[in-house]
Amino acid sequence: MLLKISNLNAGYGKVPVLHECTLEVNEHETVTVIGPNGAGKSTLLKTITGLVKAMSGQIVFQDEEIATLSTDQIIRKGIAFVPEGGRPFPNMTVLDNLRMGAFTKRENLKNGVIDELFALFPVLKKRSNQYARTLSGGERQMLAIARGLISRPKLLMLDEPSLGLAPKLVDEIYEKIRMLKESGLTVLLIEQNTSYALELADRGYVLENGHIIMTGACAELSSSDHIRKAYLGI
Amino acid sequence: MLDMTVQSIITGLMMGVIYALITLGISIVFGVLNVVNFAHGDFVMFSMYLSYMIGTALVWDAVQTPLITIPVLFIFGFIVYYLIIDRTLRQMYVVQLAVTVGLQIFMRSMALIIWKAQPRALQYSIIQGNIQIGPYTILTSRLVAAIISLIFIAGIAWFLNKSWAGSAMRAASDDLDMASLVGVNYRRTYALTFAIGSALTAVAGGLLMSFQQTDPVGGIRFGFLSWCVLALAGLGSIPGLIISGMIVGVAETVTITFFDPRSRLLVIYGIFILVLWFKPRGLFGRK
Ligand SMILES: Nc1ncnc2c1ncn2[C@@H]1O[C@H](COP(=O)(O)OP(=O)(O)OP(=O)(O)O)[C@@H](O)[C@H]1O
Ligand SMILES: [Mg+2]
Repeated sequence: MLLKISNLNAGYGKVPVLHECTLEVNEHETVTVIGPNGAGKSTLLKTITGLVKAMSGQIVFQDEEIATLSTDQIIRKGIAFVPEGGRPFPNMTVLDNLRMGAFTKRENLKNGVIDELFALFPVLKKRSNQYARTLSGGERQMLAIARGLISRPKLLMLDEPSLGLAPKLVDEIYEKIRMLKESGLTVLLIEQNTSYALELADRGYVLENGHIIMTGACAELSSSDHIRKAYLGI
Repeated sequence: MLDMTVQSIITGLMMGVIYALITLGISIVFGVLNVVNFAHGDFVMFSMYLSYMIGTALVWDAVQTPLITIPVLFIFGFIVYYLIIDRTLRQMYVVQLAVTVGLQIFMRSMALIIWKAQPRALQYSIIQGNIQIGPYTILTSRLVAAIISLIFIAGIAWFLNKSWAGSAMRAASDDLDMASLVGVNYRRTYALTFAIGSALTAVAGGLLMSFQQTDPVGGIRFGFLSWCVLALAGLGSIPGLIISGMIVGVAETVTITFFDPRSRLLVIYGIFILVLWFKPRGLFGRK
């Protein structure tokens, strides 16, 4: 098992947002966490990366407890996190953003990893000397994913990669994520766009009000009455 | 009249480059840590005294003294960061303000205790004379100071753009959480930034001592100058910083030449206020 979270409580200040969350991600698996606005999905990823401190519970990555480590130490273990909106560094060029992604794996700048990523996201090559603040929403998201991948992480975590994008772009981004999944990358995907997430992922968790209320293979979840009514609107 | 104007502009331009160097220190600290170091001018004053001591003890020229004061101020910056600044980062803004204002008062008091209220100047200088171009005189010591300042500014620009540590500083300045998410240790980056900001005052202090005297309250002037240049320049443009330093330098020397030398801080304050009114992001700033 790559990532195992057990009985996790976390939140801001003294108020917990996540209650006793338990979740696992196996190697080469794509797992999604779906849930409504404010359920705590982003908080979950922020807690895994140490941006939000766990109040209690365990976060084990590759048999190692990481809940007490600082964010940069957690990243060095091989986790990449693409937060909501991607958040490339606005005043850095596309190329400098990619370089920053290799901050912990500097040898990857010479190993041709950048060229692989340019092949996956050709638009980034065209824009490589442009400041990230001048990119469109879709380009920002692709840059952020590429920046996450350049360190060759063992686990890629994506927070709503489809947020705010036109349907055509959502299709394009999901196509890329599918290619990554098929290449064997382990992905933890957070989404509100339930139909896309359930179609792509192997397994899913449903997070509501900070509680994981349901889990199972995506096919099972898609056919459950609750999911169909509350999320898929069927 | 025209000659005097041109002469004071020439002098002001050279001073302005030193002001830009001083401001570069407060600017990277503000840009990266989001902390205004109100003691920055007193770092300059302190460096000037150190240069005075070293220059006197070793019979060195003022411009040589940074060889020793740079490492001293660099380490001093690290210590100040970890002892004081680091603990205020998550605090209210007013706490940060109180802490750096307190540091300013502390450094000034220390200077008064160690060096008394006497102004000090170095006698010895290998850089003598001046260069005569037509009716205009360029003091060699100031020209050398301006050139060395430019070299250090260019060096910092190179460091920020090309080195890993400099890129980490830019990333932390752009988006601190995201910088952590690519593996940057923000405390180490902050400490390094503060130490570099502090070391730059050592360079400026040595250069200033080659043609000026220092006194314990002189830090206010440099602090004030650097806020004014920073306000003019905004964050993120090093050419903008140099031009802003020159504007302030020229405003100062023109005031000294044509009005009362004692009104020079007033003029700088005037520029500061005008910028805040009309261009709150500075002339060249992006944030
Ligand atoms: N920085 C913060 N400080 C305090 N409370 C916060 C903070 N960020 C989020 N919260 C609260 O935590 C709860 C969960 O927020 P979170 O962002 O994790 O939800 P989410 O499931 O990602 O929602 P969305 O789908 O809208 O992104 C919300 O009630 C939110 O108001
Ligand atoms: Mg969210």
